[in-house]
Amino acid sequence: MAEEFEPKIVAFLCKWCSSAGSDLAGVSRMQYPSNVVPITVMCSGSVSPLYILSAFNKGADGVLVSGCHPGDCHYIKGNYYARRRIALVKELLEFTGLEPERFQMSWVSAAEGKKYTEIIKDFVKILKPLGPQKKLGRSQ
Amino acid sequence: MKKRTGVFVCHCGINIAGTVDVKKVADKLSKHDGVAHSEDYVYMCSDPGQKLITNAIKENNLDSIVVSCCSPNLHEKTFQNAAKAGGINEFQSEIANIREQCSWVHKDKEKATVKAEKITRSAVERVIRNESLDPISFPVTRRGMVIGAGIAGIQAALDMANTGYEVILVEKNPSIGGHMIQLSETFPTLDCSQCILSPKMVEVSKHENIKLLTYSEVQEVSGYVGNFKVKIKKNPTFVDPKKCTLCDECTKVCPVVTSNEFDLGLTGRRAIYMPFPQAIPATYTLDDKNCPGLLPIACGKCSDVCDPGAIDYDQKPEIIEEEVGAIVVATGFDLYGKEEMGEYGYGKYADVLDGLQFERLCSASGPTQGKILRPSDHKVPKEVVFIQCSGSRDPELHCAYCSKICCMYTAKHALLYKHHVPDGQAYIFYIDIRSGGKGYEEFVQRVIEEDDVVYLRGKVSKIFEDNGKITVWGVDTLSGKNVEINADLVVLAQAMRPSKDADKLAKLLKIGTDKDGFLQEAHPKLRPVESVTAGMFLAGAAQAPKDIPEAVAQASGAAAKAVAILSQENLFHSPQVAKNFPNLCTGCGMCVDVCPYGALSLKDGKVEVNEILCEGCGTCSATCLRAAIEVKNITPLQIYEMINASLGG
Amino acid sequence: MVNLDDLKKEAHRILEENKVKYIIGYSQGSNGFPAVPAFIRNPEDSDNLIWNPACIHNLTRFLRDEKKRKAREKHPDNRPVGIIVKGCDSRAINVLLQENYITREDVFILGVSCEDTGVIDEKKLAKKLMGKMALSFDWDGNRNLVVTTKNGEIKINADEVLAERCLECPAQSPVVYDILFGDKVKRSPETRFESVEKIEKLSTEERWAFWKEQFDKCIRCYACRSVCPMCYCDECVVDTISFAVTADTTAEEKAQKIKWIDKSPVPSETFFYHMVRAIHLAGRCIDCGECERVCPLDIPIRFLNKKLEKEAKNLFDYEVGFDPNQLSLVSSFKDEDPEDFIR
Repeated sequence: MAEEFEPKIVAFLCKWCSSAGSDLAGVSRMQYPSNVVPITVMCSGSVSPLYILSAFNKGADGVLVSGCHPGDCHYIKGNYYARRRIALVKELLEFTGLEPERFQMSWVSAAEGKKYTEIIKDFVKILKPLGPQKKLGRSQ
Repeated sequence: MKKRTGVFVCHCGINIAGTVDVKKVADKLSKHDGVAHSEDYVYMCSDPGQKLITNAIKENNLDSIVVSCCSPNLHEKTFQNAAKAGGINEFQSEIANIREQCSWVHKDKEKATVKAEKITRSAVERVIRNESLDPISFPVTRRGMVIGAGIAGIQAALDMANTGYEVILVEKNPSIGGHMIQLSETFPTLDCSQCILSPKMVEVSKHENIKLLTYSEVQEVSGYVGNFKVKIKKNPTFVDPKKCTLCDECTKVCPVVTSNEFDLGLTGRRAIYMPFPQAIPATYTLDDKNCPGLLPIACGKCSDVCDPGAIDYDQKPEIIEEEVGAIVVATGFDLYGKEEMGEYGYGKYADVLDGLQFERLCSASGPTQGKILRPSDHKVPKEVVFIQCSGSRDPELHCAYCSKICCMYTAKHALLYKHHVPDGQAYIFYIDIRSGGKGYEEFVQRVIEEDDVVYLRGKVSKIFEDNGKITVWGVDTLSGKNVEINADLVVLAQAMRPSKDADKLAKLLKIGTDKDGFLQEAHPKLRPVESVTAGMFLAGAAQAPKDIPEAVAQASGAAAKAVAILSQENLFHSPQVAKNFPNLCTGCGMCVDVCPYGALSLKDGKVEVNEILCEGCGTCSATCLRAAIEVKNITPLQIYEMINASLGG
Repeated sequence: MVNLDDLKKEAHRILEENKVKYIIGYSQGSNGFPAVPAFIRNPEDSDNLIWNPACIHNLTRFLRDEKKRKAREKHPDNRPVGIIVKGCDSRAINVLLQENYITREDVFILGVSCEDTGVIDEKKLAKKLMGKMALSFDWDGNRNLVVTTKNGEIKINADEVLAERCLECPAQSPVVYDILFGDKVKRSPETRFESVEKIEKLSTEERWAFWKEQFDKCIRCYACRSVCPMCYCDECVVDTISFAVTADTTAEEKAQKIKWIDKSPVPSETFFYHMVRAIHLAGRCIDCGECERVCPLDIPIRFLNKKLEKEAKNLFDYEVGFDPNQLSLVSSFKDEDPEDFIR
């Protein structure tokens, strides 16, 4: 039997909420699939569209951007800029034919280890049937 | 620029090694481009572990290190210091989090090992592009400020002032003292509240290091830890305290009677008034909202009788600018309004009081000189019902949280009532009795046993006025029976809520509030007196409901934290800040617009970074269309390489 | 109707009075092209100016060259440049003002209103003429294009020859100008995003098939970038081709240069390029359609920009180029910005 497809996911997590939330998932020993490699950034507001496109270009099957809930940003308002910027990138990618499921954004607070776990579980589950992302990926 | 990076993979006992093949990770990484040394060890954070890193740096001539271990929140500093001990810059150390974000959340050893390897490679790609940086040093304005002069603010100001630093104490009311000065006795010792607070108030007024600004409000705050600029508006009192002899002739002639805030509306006061006899500063205030005109034509009676000529109708609000290095916020609480309590008559019954009003009723200096008389007909109430959790612990209708002090002060109220009216009967409706605290449980037992107070476990569904009595419908959940009491007086232990306009102040200060509007501490357990903004500290009930000893303790804690800043000649700021590339900048100013700290500005058509204001969030970098600004040591190039490494393999 | 003689007269006047150093406008092209950009320096040459439905070009693109030229001059001539702008072009001026790229004093704006028409789509017209050579053409005032050919006059309904962007244009007359020619018209098109909606209606896979075919054609000539008035960066972040190494380029800048994409025009890299261009034009593109017009492979690049124009409007109520003082789309936010896509 062929090996099950394991999607590769890059997650941009803000240092103060989402990365801390994913730490909490670890401290609480919650279990989720190992498909996600997190990249901790200072703020979701610092995630440039170039990072997202680059992740897809380098062969990511899914990309997650996660920040603090509105009003909770460690930097006061970075996540509001992120929300706007990511909305535009998401619209554009879907317009050009990328499956909308492949690019997600979430708010995960430092207390939401469980939510982070659920997000990753669901993300992997939804990506598996889609198969490898070849549209934007650089052909090997 | 080929680097010589060392990789150190920690087993963390079996915390990591149980799920990740640490030897394999170390082995794979040893072949990574730029890695000159790679090894694993059982506890990298242990003293031998740190020594191992320090020695490896020296022996292998390493210029940067990656430690694959737990979350950087735990040991980032430890390994930065190990790097320093090895003779390299602390910013040449990066953490790869392979515990919280890997070994603890996965079971499949093979997959977890692959992931740990990717996380470590990603950190290596980052660290080989790190710049060596030195913390940015800046001088400290060595004076403090305390906002709010209740017991917490007074304590914080005194503690700071006693260490030798000048303190500006800002209070919005005409006198300091806060709610504590309104209380009669304090639980569990029954000290007279005014007797224990007024010495501290006097000390404030006489302290050479304290500059007291009453009747004043903070209007604007700019700057950063160590160097805040605060604009304060001092409202006019229309009375010159230097000339005023406190003869009290003015209040006798003032034709206006308005509700007295100090007695919570149980008495009246004149438009010109002294809030209470022990007020600090001891002077009169003319309340221009109630004064008929501030003009000799409109009234002028107070001015006419004032022999020393202390009354000055021409006083204007004054804007005072102060520079301080640290700020303690102690804005206190207000009671949740009776008018919010539909089930308890929206505050429209005269004989339904809140806890603070009852304090005034019991107080020797109160409206009845300490006799307990009910407001409607001034008769001694023979049956009094106290209702706890009025507005608290009610997520559907009111406040979800426990106000913490009501169990204790209600017990005290019942006791005081019984001492004043020995033949009266006190009933207390409660949900639970929470009496955690030194001597608190004993106090409650004393009230139940010695003073025959009837504790009824249950909620009151409705109260209404009926034939000169207040009828209370409740349920005793222990007996399962409905209870009806025809009381003479009802006292509601109203929930504590943040003081009015505390949210506006929090916005000005850029410190957060929690879901209930209380000021947000930086960490609920480990940093309970710090706000989320560096250099601003929290004290008292502004942060959460608390009693006097807790408020005082937190105030002293906040003062110590503030003094820790003021005692420094220079502070240091993280050098991981934005950096601009003038050659690429077109001066469009988008980054300036998004910067939450005002750290960016345009000069001669190019952006400039104020490194002390910049917190390094990087929103500028994601907004810039031209890659003309980035944050040091987390640059787009580093992220680009980290993406590559994260997807590799 | 725009009176061409008035336009010429004013152009003559401002040149003669030394109000402007030169005027960027349109003149008759040779070689069958009905209009080409023209740079008028002498008052008497004002007579060469034309205004007709073929004045397609967004001349604000030349302000880039002007700015660069001026930066190199030791003693720059600080008089403004006269420039002829249509409604769309005027909004480009506003965006350039918003981004501090130019100041209002840098330009003397001769606004021409498209009134109830716009400019033609050369390809649509060619189809209509079926090989016949147009000698001249103009609008007749009733939304018809009257084309004079050797074989006589042909009348074509405006909707059949107007450029698609003109049919979807939200403001046909200039929003910023010093002198306005023609009538101020405010027509709200019913079909402002029709071209985009057609693509949106397709399934994900159909959309991908559509764009894949388009991007497969791209030869990465960067004409779209060269013609765009908003692509004024000295160096484009997505490629290393235009990376200008000057005397003050630091070693660090060279080292920091990221090769986000490969130079070779393989689909993934081409896709990346077009995505970044679209994102960087979000809230800045005023839909002059120049990128699409100059594309030698007929890639409908405009749709990408139009899509983001639509989302800016629908999601954030953001309109591009009407107010030079507004904050940029991505450097502002509202508390109520939609977040239903966020978990």
